[in-house]
Amino acid sequence: MPSNEPLQDLSFKRNDQIDRKHLQTRKTGPKKLEHKKRHPEKKIALIGWSVASIEALDKMKRPYLVVSLPDFEEYATTHNIPFLPWEFSRDLPYEDIFKHAEALYRKLKELEVDHAIPIFEETVEWAGALNAHFREDPRLFDHAVLFRDKALMKRRAHIGGLRVGVFEEGETKEDVRRFFRRVNQSLLRHPEQDPDPVHVKAFNKAGAAGHRIIRSEADIDRKLTNDNFPCLMESHLEGVEISCEAFIRGGKVQFLNITEYVVFGYSMMVPPSPEIEELRPAIREEVQKIVDVFDIDHGIIHPEFFLSNDGTIYFGEVAYRIPGGHIFDLMKKTYGFNPYEAHILCCDPNTTEEELDGVFPDEKSFNGHAGSFLVYPKSDYISGVNIPKDLEDHPSFDKHTLFHPGVSKIQEQEGYGNHLGTVFFYNELSDHVKQPLTDYVDHNFFM
Amino acid sequence: MPLEADTKKTETFIQAFATMEEAFPYARKMYQPDVLQAAARVMEEPDGMRFLYEYADRFDSAGIFEGGPWAEPSKLEPRLVTGSLMDNSMTAIVEILSELRMVSLAKGKHQHESFTQEDAKEFLDNVLALNVDILFPEETEAARIEGRGKEKDRAERLFQFLADELTLTSITSTLIDEIDGLVAQRPIMVNRIITMVFDAEQLLKRPIGAHDKKAIKKYIQAVTGPTKLCKEIKEPCDYRKRLKEATEKELQEEAKAFAKSMRSTGLVSDKHVILVRYLNREKKDLLPMCLALSKKGTAHLEEHYSIVSDLIKVAIHPPTRQALYGLTLMLERGILSANPVIPGLRRLIELDLLPEVRKILLNSVNKSEGVTANDILVAGTISVLGQPLGIGQGMNPTCQTARGISLWSLHAPGYLLELIPRAARDGDIDIMFEGQAIHSKNLREGLVDDLHEELDPVSLVLVPHLDRIYGELVRRAEFRGEDVHKWVNPAFYGNWVNNGFSSAIDPMTGSIADYSGFVRLFYSTHHPEYNDGHELIYPNPVGIFITNSFGELLGLHAVSIQRVAKDPKGNYRIYFYNPNNDSSQVWGQGIEPAVAGNGEIFGESSLPFHEFTSRLYAFHYNPYEQGDAFAVDKNYVEKIEELARTSWGVKYTWVEL
Repeated sequence: MPSNEPLQDLSFKRNDQIDRKHLQTRKTGPKKLEHKKRHPEKKIALIGWSVASIEALDKMKRPYLVVSLPDFEEYATTHNIPFLPWEFSRDLPYEDIFKHAEALYRKLKELEVDHAIPIFEETVEWAGALNAHFREDPRLFDHAVLFRDKALMKRRAHIGGLRVGVFEEGETKEDVRRFFRRVNQSLLRHPEQDPDPVHVKAFNKAGAAGHRIIRSEADIDRKLTNDNFPCLMESHLEGVEISCEAFIRGGKVQFLNITEYVVFGYSMMVPPSPEIEELRPAIREEVQKIVDVFDIDHGIIHPEFFLSNDGTIYFGEVAYRIPGGHIFDLMKKTYGFNPYEAHILCCDPNTTEEELDGVFPDEKSFNGHAGSFLVYPKSDYISGVNIPKDLEDHPSFDKHTLFHPGVSKIQEQEGYGNHLGTVFFYNELSDHVKQPLTDYVDHNFFM
Repeated sequence: MPLEADTKKTETFIQAFATMEEAFPYARKMYQPDVLQAAARVMEEPDGMRFLYEYADRFDSAGIFEGGPWAEPSKLEPRLVTGSLMDNSMTAIVEILSELRMVSLAKGKHQHESFTQEDAKEFLDNVLALNVDILFPEETEAARIEGRGKEKDRAERLFQFLADELTLTSITSTLIDEIDGLVAQRPIMVNRIITMVFDAEQLLKRPIGAHDKKAIKKYIQAVTGPTKLCKEIKEPCDYRKRLKEATEKELQEEAKAFAKSMRSTGLVSDKHVILVRYLNREKKDLLPMCLALSKKGTAHLEEHYSIVSDLIKVAIHPPTRQALYGLTLMLERGILSANPVIPGLRRLIELDLLPEVRKILLNSVNKSEGVTANDILVAGTISVLGQPLGIGQGMNPTCQTARGISLWSLHAPGYLLELIPRAARDGDIDIMFEGQAIHSKNLREGLVDDLHEELDPVSLVLVPHLDRIYGELVRRAEFRGEDVHKWVNPAFYGNWVNNGFSSAIDPMTGSIADYSGFVRLFYSTHHPEYNDGHELIYPNPVGIFITNSFGELLGLHAVSIQRVAKDPKGNYRIYFYNPNNDSSQVWGQGIEPAVAGNGEIFGESSLPFHEFTSRLYAFHYNPYEQGDAFAVDKNYVEKIEELARTSWGVKYTWVEL
């Protein structure tokens, strides 16, 4: 009698065994990169304009070349800075950057350059592409992209066993809505009455640009437009935010700076408060994990972590470049070494052990706490500076860089935008620095 | 040199400065914040300025000014210094260091490739002359109790240092030139002049030249009283008593001295007013002498004595003393013979003023001086009728309105005397525009949001209304494909304005089109050698490009061409009324309007014909009074175009038709 039941698939067991055997004979997981040595007489190309880094190269007498926007050419020529003007086309897909970089690579090769160091977030992939060409290994470009695409980096970190929030890539508002509901469902929260927030971030923007916090379903329609997509959606992480600046050589963290974000977007302090400093060994372990997981041989990384109340460390994101917010200047002040020089030394694969010897201070022997407060305009038009009366008399006040504004109209800003000046603080005691870093957030420094 | 500055602060500065000097030239800007902050701390010390000055010859080469507006000393403007000094940011610190650098340049301690020792001296003289109030700070009780603020203290320490290092002789002449320039325009509002006169008084204690001393004394006496009795008696009340005992000869001497001083400075002393009021009651035959009236003025006074006597009683008081000068010039103009003027003035004496008008008028004098709002309004009207070119826009962007009041005072006093009661009593002014009535009371927005109240009484009453009407006219004439002033000006100012209109700016594209044609048309309608000899009868309201001392465009401005005539040297000049009563305007490319010395009437500015033309952007003309545009020498046209293109023209697109 013919049966109506489908035939049982008896091949599963057999196929599964074949698959498992295949895996055992083959190496899986991330592919190792090979960081080849270069010729000592060749030049380094800085991709992006940074006077501090140029000065570092000059001080160390390393042959170099700066590749940046044509706007800087006049200044560079006046001061005999080796310069190649280059218009970095914005908003290109990564594949096109790789292609576009070929022309630049040819020029640089003629100019005896064989290594590129990125200065800004937007030049990380360009430097990656150039280095891929220099060393004829296209995967070096993919490696750079890993630090540019927030979803990619998070996935790689997750695979490597770092603690990350739940995340997904989203294409539409519907994706965000589904993600918001699923996250709240899993937390046993009612999506309308007491929802847990989720974060929507752009894949490849520095800092807080493109970041939106979704606290309700209504926020999805209110705060998001088509420009926000595609995006990374992420569950909320609770805790204090810190960043690290890790100087890496031979796959090992040589020096670890920890920066406390006192008020996110506004102010930061180096080294952090003693409570955070206590966690240094655990933080160091996580940073080393990033180095291993991301297969980093040399250079500087600037990861951000959340420290939860119970001391758990969550990975936020990581950048493969110099940090913003004057963090290097704070380090210089409190640790007494030149991080810009150290950056070059770590990024140059040709640096010798001897050259690195004695460059880094002892992580524990810092001299006081240094803080920076970024001053943003609070309105579209400004006509003057309004410095709080007590600011300059504050025992921790170090210096500020506020000038009477040259233009009154403020350009449209994204994220926290560009700051118009910075106030620096410095004191033996972290509390004396943290307090003014918090106090002036609501003060309008411009009239 | 032993200095008292705190060694910790000076050490920090020395170190920061050394780091900057040792840095690669391109990197020096990075070290500016440290150097500036350290300098700011040194400045707080008693000898701080002197300490910093020791380094001033190295400031330029060390890169302290690099990348900012102070980098190029030739581009700095003395009049902007005060603003920077009072800024509470790092701007003030760089500004002070820049001044110290200027002292070093002025003394030849170091050189600058594009700024000579003489340039630096001149710059500092100007800075000092413009800031005499900081040089000699007020010692008031309020300043003592409240403190003057960190910025002010710092600025005072700088100026103290400058005064110690530089001679004050040259500042004195700069300051006197400045006062001369203001006085030459005979403005109705003299507050600024008086402030400068008392600033200058401080310089008398210093070693300055005898000539300068005399000039300063002349101005001080014009305000405090230049006569023999004034020098003996300080209190106005005592002076009045003394007059009653004065002999005829004494009175004559007083009258002559006052008149001479008023006529030569345009400034009126309160004691002069006391004398005039006394003579008006007791000895009217001395009045012409007391005002130094011409034959014509004296005849006019005698003809209309009863109303003049009333006007003196009502309007000429110590707080409204400047109206005495207005009255004098009004008598010289003979304007009381125009039919509507006497009834028009009489109406104001008893006019029912709106409460807000009363308030704004009373605000313009000090409290408890015992004058009424009507007194002030009549006094203001006398000033406007006597000094049509002395009307100023003050700090308000209302050049058009000031220009209107001036024009009506000159050519339509009856109309002006109609407008004043309409605004002051009815709170409304109406005009017709293309068959429709526009009422100011129905309009909300004008060019000014918040009227700056340092204005003459007539402007205080009229400007809020006229400004709104002007704004409405502009709105109604917009989008017609041509410059709005073509329709707005004749409607706003009246039939005195010609209907022909030409603008250098093409309104559709905003570019400069057919500039040479524009220049030729202006010559053929205004220059006596090309316009068939047609004389300019009424002031022509024209638009000009205002440029700064580097010839860079600052904006558009309204002035009136009063007349075109040969100056004493035989060259054609344009004499114009500028509602912005600034003493010295420097428009770049060597173009500097003069206020005296080239045949100007008090209140006129003047420029050579072609220089004025190079800043012109729009003018009215009579289409029936055109001469030969083609006859204008090509060289002139090209010269003017060159001046235009390389100054304001840089900001515009030029198209050839």
